[in-house]
Amino acid sequence: MRYVKISKADTYQFLERLKRRGTLYAPQKVSELSYDFKLLEDVKEIAFGYPRTIRPPRRFFYPAEETLFTFDTTRVELYEKMPEDETVVLFGLHSCDIVGLRIMDSEFMDETPDPYYQQRRKNSIVIGLSCLPDEYCFCNVRRVDFVDAGFDLFFHELPDGYLVRVGTVTGHKLTDESSDLFTRVTEQDINEMRAFETKRAGMFRLNGNWDSLRYQLELRMGHPMYDREAEKCLGCGNCTITCPTCRCYDVKDIPSIDGRTGERVRVWDSCQFRSHGLVAGPHNFRESKKDRFVNRYMCKNAYNRTTTTAYCVGCGRCTQFCPAGISFMKNLMEIGGYVEMIPE
Amino acid sequence: MCKPKVGVYALTSCYGCQLKLATVSKILEISEAVSFESFYMLSSASTMAPDVEVAFVEGSVSTEKDLEELHEIRKHSKILVALGACSVNGGVQSWAEGDKKVSDLHATVYGTSKIDAAPLQATPISKHVKVDYYLPGCPPEEDEILYFISAFLFGTFPEPKDFPVCSECRMAGNPCILIERGEPCLGPVTTAGCKARCISHDVPCIGCRGPVPHNTSWFDSLASVFKAKGMSRESVRARMRIFGAHEPNLEGHLDKIYGGTK
Repeated sequence: MRYVKISKADTYQFLERLKRRGTLYAPQKVSELSYDFKLLEDVKEIAFGYPRTIRPPRRFFYPAEETLFTFDTTRVELYEKMPEDETVVLFGLHSCDIVGLRIMDSEFMDETPDPYYQQRRKNSIVIGLSCLPDEYCFCNVRRVDFVDAGFDLFFHELPDGYLVRVGTVTGHKLTDESSDLFTRVTEQDINEMRAFETKRAGMFRLNGNWDSLRYQLELRMGHPMYDREAEKCLGCGNCTITCPTCRCYDVKDIPSIDGRTGERVRVWDSCQFRSHGLVAGPHNFRESKKDRFVNRYMCKNAYNRTTTTAYCVGCGRCTQFCPAGISFMKNLMEIGGYVEMIPE
Repeated sequence: MCKPKVGVYALTSCYGCQLKLATVSKILEISEAVSFESFYMLSSASTMAPDVEVAFVEGSVSTEKDLEELHEIRKHSKILVALGACSVNGGVQSWAEGDKKVSDLHATVYGTSKIDAAPLQATPISKHVKVDYYLPGCPPEEDEILYFISAFLFGTFPEPKDFPVCSECRMAGNPCILIERGEPCLGPVTTAGCKARCISHDVPCIGCRGPVPHNTSWFDSLASVFKAKGMSRESVRARMRIFGAHEPNLEGHLDKIYGGTK
């Protein structure tokens, strides 16, 4: 891996240049407490110190709603509707979100290649950004607080700029093209980066790892936590919509008025919705709210073989955006018997 | 091609739903594809309840005449669709259900003067006849209207949405005004389909699309959230009843969270 440095002022210049490479999205403040990846028009609008965005980055490659093809029933033909060949540049992804994308890749490209996802993903540029945890973060116990693959560049905050890790050939090209903006990393920069990492590690509320959590959950399916917490649940799906690794979808046919043609669309679904478990019959294999609630806990704590981590990356979105205030982290701690270490 | 016969009828309502239906962008295509046997807003030659394949009924049953007409419409249609909030959930006019006598309401508005209509407590049409499909909204969304009509033309049926506005709100990238500002947003219990129209304009959801069907509106959970934010039972009840006075679970769920006194 190659390491370079960029100053804060030159980072804005670099962002300006990134716009030429494709459509640039970056975290921006959208309300008192929330941030979202938005088209970055004025580079000064970027929020470097954001905790997390409302919507996870997966939507850029796997949109909440997309037309897969149109069809004509009388001609018995379908017309594939591939995404446009455009480059999306995502700047400012935290390590949890990068692992989230790698998990999406493992499902949509390695496992069963999805042409729509692949088309959008192949040209994308992903640039990471270091962060400090807030009360909802537990990426460290998920072992995704440091990421070593899945980005082209990764920006680590220094007092006077960023130490940049170059992750791919594309990353090399980006820094080479802007060689006037990047300098060598000094001994002091390395120490500053270490200091930042140490400070960051001390800010997490938990430590250790949760690798055995999956078994704890499987062995305690009847834990009273589920009854108590499912009771509060609104079944609104906020936890899954904002999750960086949720990928369930529903496929629907939207007919046209002509009674002959139509389009097949894919829309994000949620295991928290009643119809998610509804099959012919009409039987429902997740009939109650509690069944659906338990399902999410099992699904998110299963292992992904590519990343060798849990599907939950500890980003904290499901907790921050739960209108009922249900804490995924605290509920998992209760079952796993983990103890919170509130940092000083 | 044999054109399906369609009727559009209004009971007590503001006529906004049939206005919405009459002004969808593809209304000309629709009127080519179907034969409107009755649709007063499009043609004064319309008559009451001819035989139709699909009847769209807007408005709530609020007079005895409404009730008679509804039974006639049902008798003459194969598929009956409740169109809009009044028809599906009784609409805002049904908020007094269980709280005030219809005779008192009538006296407040009309005094002792005589009017032609014999009033009834406003109710959703499903209280009186079998309803095949529900097309919620105040008024319904254009894409849903088109989807319903085209599904019938295809010989299939429209799939109901059984999840709340809340999910569409996050998909739209809106910050949560319930979490951030503690406003009484009904998004978590209201049927999706509007793509969180109001919240996207920074206005909390008032529930016009009605409770999520199949008993999946967790009024108790939401009331508990509202209570924790300091809202009184009366204010929560009033808000939930604007479009949900006929929801059978409402009072029980409120009692559960706030205790049994009104």
